[in-house]
This record gives sequence, structure tokens and C-alpha cells, in this order.
Amino acid sequence: MKKPGLTFYRGAAIMVVVIFLGLQISSPPIENPPVTSEIAVPAEVKQILERACYDCHSNEAKVEWFDKIAPASFLVGHDIEEARSRFNFSEWDKNPAGVQELLLWQMVNAIEQGKMPLKRYQLAHPGGKVSESELAVLKKYVNTLPGRHKVDTALIVAQTSSIEKVSAQKTPVSLNGIPYSEDYKNWKIISVTDKFDGGSMRIVYGNDIMVKAIEKRELPFPDGARIVKVVWGKQAEDKDGNVLPGNFQNAQFMIKDSKKYSTTEGWGFAKFDGLDLKPAGKTILFEQTCANCHRLLAPENDFVFNIPTK
Amino acid sequence: MKSTISIYIISIGLLMLSCDDRNTATLAPEYLYDAGNQKVIKSIINNKKGTIAMLYGNDLALESASDSLPEPNIGAHFTLITWKQKPMPQWYGTKMNGEIYSIEHLKVVQRNETRFAFEYDFQTGKGDQPGEDRPDKEQRIAFITSQHAAVFP
Repeated sequence: MKKPGLTFYRGAAIMVVVIFLGLQISSPPIENPPVTSEIAVPAEVKQILERACYDCHSNEAKVEWFDKIAPASFLVGHDIEEARSRFNFSEWDKNPAGVQELLLWQMVNAIEQGKMPLKRYQLAHPGGKVSESELAVLKKYVNTLPGRHKVDTALIVAQTSSIEKVSAQKTPVSLNGIPYSEDYKNWKIISVTDKFDGGSMRIVYGNDIMVKAIEKRELPFPDGARIVKVVWGKQAEDKDGNVLPGNFQNAQFMIKDSKKYSTTEGWGFAKFDGLDLKPAGKTILFEQTCANCHRLLAPENDFVFNIPTK
Repeated sequence: MKSTISIYIISIGLLMLSCDDRNTATLAPEYLYDAGNQKVIKSIINNKKGTIAMLYGNDLALESASDSLPEPNIGAHFTLITWKQKPMPQWYGTKMNGEIYSIEHLKVVQRNETRFAFEYDFQTGKGDQPGEDRPDKEQRIAFITSQHAAVFP
């Protein structure tokens, strides 16, 4: 007579096989769409990107046999889709020039912080790691990009009467409902920066809640904390080495409300461009672009870059 | 046996706490400067000296810098805070303020028949190294009073 336990195990084994086969059939095919505008970079840079990044961030993914087996194939498919949506080396010209540069600096930072390539990708593809010397090659390259040495030579434009009229009539409001407000001019400064990519200098203000949290070394920051970063171009260095602010570029807001902004790590993001303070972004998705970079690179700072830390 | 297990649990707990510490940045409120009621005039980067600075001023100072008056207002009070630059920890490609290097106060006291009288004070911060050159007072007065305010929306 058969032992009932054996039947159970056999049944379970058959179930597992059926599920496994079913997964293979429903597994997403990983397709490589045509390359429309491939990134143009020096050969030594290209080589690193091709080896460590192209499997997900291009339309030239070289998928290994084991990547095609479910359930791994689902993860691989998801990673490639996500990666291509962030940036795609095969469709590079879809990004404006300034964004291309920002993305390259972001890549260097993601690699330096060990966030990219993804750990699970490196486990399956041991050749995907970027070495220290390769990172140095990438750093050297981003420092040659035009934004790194951009000087604001234009005549400095202050408020014109027409602009004053416009801003007096209505307050610009970001697509996610955050209005521009001048309150920050009475706040304290939490940091002052010199940003290489895009060539800008910034003053970062924090409201009372934000400043008190820094003073009490309170992380994550409490709801109600607000940060405003004001950005200017840089004028040419004078003979003594001083670099002074040029034209006003934009003002960037971050507002902490862990419930209201739960999909963007508890922070509401807004950016207002130019002296007419045009809200940035074409759709509400702009805030995810902000959050993605803050989420990737500054999680230990409660997702804020510009705070004083040791 | 029980005590061994509790020691295990406690040490695992401590280990997790210490891991958590490593993943949270250490805030540095000592880099902040409270300029009181003075307003922002502008920031100034100096890559030769490896410093980054903020120029603040009272209303009279801000007016002098905004309107770029040929002469500063009597009663104008400027404060120039200079920090040592340091790399931003989360973003290769940005320099930010670290330790405070110096605090300069400049007051336009009065005007004689031929020239202005200034009160100028230079204090050092933690980022200052003993033996570093002190700036020339007259040069600093000329530098601070010649600054135009940054454009704000």
C-alpha cells in the first residue's frame, strides 16, 4: 500500500513543475528595439558603459540563457524596462543636452556609491562590475563636459517691470500644487554650494523646522520642514580667484509631508525657472524624476543632498 | 543557557543598531551660521583659496549693494562668512561649505570730509589653520563694499 505522504510530495512536485512551465510560457520576451541615436563618447568611456550598463540601459541587451528562465526573466524584464525609462544609451538624443550631462554625472555618482550596476545584476554577471580605475576614467570624462566650465557671460538681468507685473498678478504654482512663495528670504541658510555639472552656484535656505531639526541632529526630518535652493550661473573667475553669481536660473523647493508626498519619499518637489518663475515639468511625472535621483543617492540624508553633514 | 541566548539576542540587536547608524548621515549643525536679521546679499566661491562664502547685510547694506550706490550707506553693516569648501558627500561634482574659516564684520560708521570711517573685525573659525595669512584690512573693506547683490526673483 502507498504511503499517503509520498502521494502528497509527488502531487506537490507536479504542481511545482506545472507552475514552472507555466511561468516559462508567460515569461516576458526581452526585445531589443532599434538603436536610433547612440551616445557618442570617447572609446575608453564607451567600452565601460557597454560592458557594465548596456545590458539594461540600451537597446542592445545581451541576455544570457539563465536570464530567460522564469522567475528570473520577470526580474530581468522589469529591470530592463525600468532602466530604459531612466535613460537609454541607444536613444540618447531624446534627452536635451543639459539633461544628457546631468545623467552622465548621475551615473558616475551611482557607480561611486555602489548603487549601480545593481547588486543582483553583478551577482549574475560577474563582468559587470566597474573598477576603481574605470570609475576614474568616467570621472575624468565628465569633467571635460562643457557644463563643467560654463561661465555666465550674459549681462545680468534683474527684475524688469513687465516681469514684476506678471508675478504681482499671480503666484506660479507647480504641477503638483506647490506654489512659489518668497517666505524663504527670511529663512536661515543651511548650505552654500558650487555645482560642477551645468556650472551653477547655489544658496540653500531652510525654514525654522528644518534648521531646528539640523541643530538637534534629527533625521529623518519632521513634517513641515521646507528647503528652498536658489540657483545662479557663475561669472568668470577674477584675478584673486573669486567667482560671483551671474544670472538667476531657478528656485527649487522641497516640502516634507510624509503622508501627502508618500510616493516621493515624503518630500514634495517643485522647481521654478527664470525670473518669470515658470513651473518646471510638462507632466506631474516631473516629481518622480526628482525623487528617483534623491532616492538613489541620498537615502541616508532623508533624501536631501544640500544639508550640512560630517 | 537562557542567559547565553539573551546575550545573543542583545548582541544581534546592537549589531543591527550599529548598522543602522552607518546608514544615517551625521548632521553637522556647527557648519551653520546664524546671521540674525541680516539678509542675503550673495554667495562667493574662491577656488584658489578653496573657500565658499556668504555675504549678508542689514537693510542699509543690502540697499547699498542692490542699488550699487556710488558710496555705501552710513550705518550699513555687512557680515561675510567664509567656509572651507568640502566635497558634497552624496554627489561627486559639487563642493559645499564645511568648517567655518572666518567671520568678517564691516560697519560703515561715518563719513569724514575726505573719506568714510569703517569698523572692520576679522574672527577666525574652526576651519582656520594657525599661521595662515590674515587678509589686508583695506583690501577687505574695498572688496566687501564693492559687491553687488545677487539677482533674486
